[in-house]
Amino acid sequence: MPDSTLPGADNRYHVFSKLMRESLIDKDVMASTETPVVRMLPDVHVVKIGGRSLIDAGKRALYPVAEALSRILARERLVLGVGGGMRSRHVFSIGLDLGLPTGVLAQLAMADALGNAHILGTLLAPHGVVAIPPEIFGHLLPLFIQSAPGVIFNGVPPYSIWEHPPAVGRIPPHRTDAGCFILGECFGVRSVTLAKDVDGLYTADPKKDPSARFIPEISISELKRMNPETLPFDEVLLDILATTRLVKSFRLVNGLKPEAIEAAVAGEAVGTLVHA
Amino acid sequence: MQPELLAQLSAALVEGNLTDRNVMERTSVPPAIRILPEANVLKVGGQSFMDRGRAAVFPLVEEILENLPRHKMIIGTGAGTRARHAYSVGIDLGMPTGVLSVLGTFVSMQNARMLHYLLAKHGIPFIEPAQFPQLPLYLAERRAVIFMGMPPYTFWQQNPAVGRIPPHRTDTGAYLISEVFGARSMIYIKDEKGLYTADPKKDKGARFIPKITVPELKALNLRDMVVEPPVLDMMRNAAHRRSIRIINGLERGNLTRALNGEDVGTEITAG
Repeated sequence: MPDSTLPGADNRYHVFSKLMRESLIDKDVMASTETPVVRMLPDVHVVKIGGRSLIDAGKRALYPVAEALSRILARERLVLGVGGGMRSRHVFSIGLDLGLPTGVLAQLAMADALGNAHILGTLLAPHGVVAIPPEIFGHLLPLFIQSAPGVIFNGVPPYSIWEHPPAVGRIPPHRTDAGCFILGECFGVRSVTLAKDVDGLYTADPKKDPSARFIPEISISELKRMNPETLPFDEVLLDILATTRLVKSFRLVNGLKPEAIEAAVAGEAVGTLVHA
Repeated sequence: MQPELLAQLSAALVEGNLTDRNVMERTSVPPAIRILPEANVLKVGGQSFMDRGRAAVFPLVEEILENLPRHKMIIGTGAGTRARHAYSVGIDLGMPTGVLSVLGTFVSMQNARMLHYLLAKHGIPFIEPAQFPQLPLYLAERRAVIFMGMPPYTFWQQNPAVGRIPPHRTDTGAYLISEVFGARSMIYIKDEKGLYTADPKKDKGARFIPKITVPELKALNLRDMVVEPPVLDMMRNAAHRRSIRIINGLERGNLTRALNGEDVGTEITAG
């Protein structure tokens, strides 16, 4: 091993390693770092509970969801993420009016989802399933999930003022769908389910076009070709899914039919499966 | 914005879909304010600067102090050779990108702490992400703060398209701070004159590029580059920080010239 305590010919003091002196931007060097990845939580499922679609909808929607989650928690371990819903949309509109940049809007939105995490945590408290403070959630997740059948977090990724400026407008692109999926990929979970208030994807808006067909399964390249006017999930997921190594798909289900969440976690074909 | 326009936007956001391009286009107005328009964001390289030790860092500290009466500075730090070691070990052991991001953060924080202690007697603080709300006060009072360049994405760091190394590292983290605060400049302090057509440490035929736009740079499709590629895409989308400068901090006077807005090193503009 070369002596790493003396400066190299370049007057920089290096620690010997495979990447010593290398540019971490060089394309060939980067290609050399492609190796298999460990799965930290291979038996755990991530389920995102929509903010506006399920939590803001109140008792009518959320109580049956909580009951379905209770039944799942008897068999499976769940990481539950939540959206920020209406309050995030509102704080975006005020923040935009005040001229606040994307990063600040992202920072503000964390609070709404955290509030919703506490709401869901109150309903699931009898199972020992509570909202975990974001500051400790990531590092302690494997410990918590051994101690309780499930944990709840605000699905917001901790990008805060480091949020990326979007191509159009100023709304933060990495919202709670993205936060739940990226977490699932990092921990190598078995599945990621996004529960909202739609059955899944259609070829067109079924409310406007009676010939719209339901799509049970679609790849991101097919979806990009379809180029729908809107998506029922964070658009950035299409790019994120393109580079995943462990979690190759997510399932979009209708949480207003809570048995769909149970079916999705059981690995059944329900809703729409979006895959890489 | 007129009250009725705010009401319309509010309704569109609450009822509408955040993937709807028409709704999103309406969120560009009114334009974003500049939160800290007088501040300059600096990034001190890890491998290129901190890992050289006293010979490189002490003169830079002097030059930073000389410029304090005229310029406010938010100073981020790179990671460098220890991050390369941690990434090498981590990749061999199968660590996911999110865990490598945590490891890189720790090294970037070590460098921030070291730089901080060199500037401590001048009252300049090191702030962690949770302390950013105090940044404006420190900047007004002491005219500089130190932060770690790594963005705090930790387990939420996105995978790169190729390999396992976190794509959003300290160049990106520092850049995003310059953009979100609407800062006056983004200056990368490295150990080369600026951008070259190849790594000048490895390729003697590498040609220096004093000024270039992002589309021109992308068209060159370089194998290696002086700044993390995501910064280029972010510049294209940015509301404020649509140019960056890369300078050789080993040459005394370059930082001063860059802070004064003079043409030194390489300037990359969004184009």
